[in-house]
Amino acid sequence: MSTSVPDTEIAVHRAGAQRMGFFTDTSVCIGCKACEVACKQWNDLPADGSRSGKDVSYDHTGDLSGSTWRHVRFVELFEPSPLLKEEAQRALDAGAGGQLPAIPAAGTVDVAEAVGKMGDWVFMSDVCKHCTNAGCLDACPTGALIRTEHQTVVLQPDVCNGCGYCVPACPFGVVDRDPEDGRAGKCTLCYDRLEDGLEPACAKSCPTDSIQFGPHDELVELASRRVAELHSRGIGGAYLYGAGDEPEDQLAGGLGAFFLLTEPPERYGLPANADSPVQENVVPATVAAVGAGLLATAGVVLAFATAARRRRGTRAGASW
Amino acid sequence: MSREHRWEASLEHGGEPAELASEHGPPDTAHGRATEWVADHDTETRDSAAALGTRGGPGAWNAAEAGEPVALARPGFGDARWSFLYNRRDTEYAAAVPARGQVAAANRRMRDAPVSDVRGPIIHAPLWKWQVATYFWLGGMASGTAFVALACDAAGDHRSAAIARKVALGVVAPGPLLLIDDLGRPERFLNMTRIFKPRSPMNTGSWCLVAFSSSGALAVAADLVRRPKIARAAGALTAVLGSYLGSYTGVLLACTAVPVWGRSRTVLGPAFVATATATGAAATRLVLVASGLPSGHPTRRALGTIETASMLTELSISALGERRLGDAGDALSRGRPGLYFRTAKTLVAIGISLRLVARRTGPREHELASFMYLAAGLLFRFAWVYAGRESARDDAVVATTARDASTPPDGRGQVWQERALSSRRSPLPIPDVVRRAYGEAVRRTSLAVERRIRR
Repeated sequence: MSTSVPDTEIAVHRAGAQRMGFFTDTSVCIGCKACEVACKQWNDLPADGSRSGKDVSYDHTGDLSGSTWRHVRFVELFEPSPLLKEEAQRALDAGAGGQLPAIPAAGTVDVAEAVGKMGDWVFMSDVCKHCTNAGCLDACPTGALIRTEHQTVVLQPDVCNGCGYCVPACPFGVVDRDPEDGRAGKCTLCYDRLEDGLEPACAKSCPTDSIQFGPHDELVELASRRVAELHSRGIGGAYLYGAGDEPEDQLAGGLGAFFLLTEPPERYGLPANADSPVQENVVPATVAAVGAGLLATAGVVLAFATAARRRRGTRAGASW
Repeated sequence: MSREHRWEASLEHGGEPAELASEHGPPDTAHGRATEWVADHDTETRDSAAALGTRGGPGAWNAAEAGEPVALARPGFGDARWSFLYNRRDTEYAAAVPARGQVAAANRRMRDAPVSDVRGPIIHAPLWKWQVATYFWLGGMASGTAFVALACDAAGDHRSAAIARKVALGVVAPGPLLLIDDLGRPERFLNMTRIFKPRSPMNTGSWCLVAFSSSGALAVAADLVRRPKIARAAGALTAVLGSYLGSYTGVLLACTAVPVWGRSRTVLGPAFVATATATGAAATRLVLVASGLPSGHPTRRALGTIETASMLTELSISALGERRLGDAGDALSRGRPGLYFRTAKTLVAIGISLRLVARRTGPREHELASFMYLAAGLLFRFAWVYAGRESARDDAVVATTARDASTPPDGRGQVWQERALSSRRSPLPIPDVVRRAYGEAVRRTSLAVERRIRR
């Protein structure tokens, strides 16, 4: 499904430029966080310190922010995936037996029971989605956020005044304002590297090619084949988040950076549906608001007219 | 020396990060924000020194020869295609060919699949604080006062109209300062009017604030030099602009992914206008009373009626809106925003009771009621602004709201075409060259101001 943004929204024009994007395949992600490090290094982003505790898993980054533009989310699942169960069953059927030899420290281990208690762990390298209908771009009052010739959404740091409107306008919780710097920050899809014909730093550093960069339509085609491949291998839960949808199901008009996932989106902290909140709401909200404003003006004028008429011959106004 | 080597050499020459930190140092601005952030992120050791150049400036290095391609560059992103380890036919990575509709069906199935555990955060909470809430209150009050000025003129009470125009200007004046203080880079406030962008409520709101203040100032100036016709015309224009100034703040909140705001998109504007009218009328009434408008004057009574009627309207709009909010409404009833909201409602109730009592007792209770409405207006704004933070942090509600986003029967594809708004066309018949030159001039002025302040 080809998606494109209106030509007039593109701020930088270049002959032969095409939509570029990321395809992040979580089925081959090993959670090494090389992409996070590469992104920090190339974009000269400061360290965020580290968080640890009960709720934050082994993932010490926590979230995308103004100074973290790639974030590998660790998703711990407290029951084995159907695939894992199936594999264990197959191994058992093949003759591994129901009981392992006794281990001195643990006693006898029941393999089926042990597999049943196993958790599963999936990783997802999250990044700005470079939406077709970009909420941040619609909201930005200064024009700091622009659409480039690669149809990516880039924030110009020399224009941004840190108003913070893009932050709640992003339905994916990507862009954020850096509290020290005062400006908003997010993935540029390495616009500076793209200008020099280099692929983005995160994709370059990814050791398993979980992050792939390229022309958007080529990536969608590749990703669709990957989904079919995984389906044929029995991973029925594989799907694309942000590409390959029917037009009415598209996320924010189609995502420039999309993902192959194997769990429902909320497990990765992603909304099941999303669109630019500005494009969704601005027309009905403005009509209601301005209508109410004009009504209020009329109401005030009317109240005065009524009061002036009542002035004659009444004493009700005495207490005022 | 090749570029790569030069790059590495420059890094070595730069020394350890600690040295760089002492050389450039962390920015001395935004200290308050930084400490607040540090409080909830353990980041005291964060090193924010730039590896190349200065913080905030470009990370520049010189090319060996101008125009020469960068080392490792492959024209047309051959670099990227080359890295597609799995895209080659000698792997099984993506060997299968999808059946027609297979991917779309899988996507829909998994996005609709029931999920019990939502792993947030899904969206980022808005950053706006008391400055914005207070501005909403003042801006609303100013626009309500502008309505009153127009009505006073229409009813023939020109003395009160002139006072109301002064009140409107006085009340809106601190607004820009509050907004500038809320910016991450306050010295770049001029960039708000760098472009004209109808689809961004904050941009249109900034322009409206400029227009409202200018026209309000013109009206007051005309009053001072005794040109009543100009003053009345400017006052009427201010009232029309006020109908947007008092309501765009609701649009601003509605155009976000925050559930409690987004779901209230048709409620926020009208509710904010109602509060604006009530607080504007209350402020004008108090000033008029202080300026010696005689007791029993129809203007005093009209304003009192407007205050109560608007507050009742606000309460009924809010009640209607809350019913449609579902779980998202929790943000308005729990915690700090809930406290603000309940207190505001109580103050309105006290105000109405005072108005009833005042029928017997006299003007003092009426004045007290006006104060109650002013305070209630402020608390309503705080409740709405802070409810956004709570709502955005409630991952379960954010997830449910996203799931409930229903598909219109005619299909969203068509809706998009209609919704593309100003991105499809040029909003004003101004030549592109002029527009760009203007934007560039504002940007440069802004940066010059910043440099001057930093130095």
